[in-house]
Amino acid sequence: MTNESIRTIPVAFDRLDAMAAPGFRETLTPLLEGQPEKVLLDLGKVEFIDSTGLGVMVSLLKLMGPGGKVAVVGAAPNVRRLFEMTRLDSLFTLCDGPDEARAALA
Amino acid sequence: MPPSPEGPALSVAADYASVRLLADHLRDACSRAALDDGCAFELELAMVEAANNVVEHGYAGAAGGTMALAVAVEDNVIRAVLTDGGTPAPDGFFAKGTMPPPGATGGRGAGIIRGCVDEIHYETGASGNRLVLTKRCPHSAPVA
Repeated sequence: MTNESIRTIPVAFDRLDAMAAPGFRETLTPLLEGQPEKVLLDLGKVEFIDSTGLGVMVSLLKLMGPGGKVAVVGAAPNVRRLFEMTRLDSLFTLCDGPDEARAALA
Repeated sequence: MPPSPEGPALSVAADYASVRLLADHLRDACSRAALDDGCAFELELAMVEAANNVVEHGYAGAAGGTMALAVAVEDNVIRAVLTDGGTPAPDGFFAKGTMPPPGATGGRGAGIIRGCVDEIHYETGASGNRLVLTKRCPHSAPVA
């Protein structure tokens, strides 16, 4: 689904681990066709992420090209802490809700 | 007081599906001990990263490999003991544990392990590899 030039991608996996990573990647790739510059990634259903899941998310950014921006909403506190620990919060804008995310992507 | 011995080990095939079984095993132990959720999450994450490493590098796709997880809880100290018979991790792998640049698509495992636990002990020998991850966790707040 899109809002203006922002593509919203709800992630349906509850665990983004090495088991889920191939499916996650296959799900994301067609959604990035046309290389949208702005993506709102909804992690509201995600309870666990490991480094493999994070790696797929970084791949998403690379697929989008140098102008790509991704905002993350719905990250549980534990997931948010992992983004901070790995410094991926410098690549992905962590937001408390869709309005904040859209503002961040504007 | 010496640490309590680990409980029975859960032995599984060395594959990514089985890493989830080990995670369930560890999460159950943390839940029974009523440990803080965030703290338990970090220990689970460290163990998952270590087990992923065993699958990806220790056995590197070889069939028939196994790994096992035992868990010991004493008061607010929890130890996850992961054993395997694969190729040992490189010297200093867990001690270095540096985090790669944010734009890297891989290489975060050791850094995450170091960032998530209080102590790491790794030894290899004729009987295989043994990684002990120790974390001190507060108990979860009682429900009012």
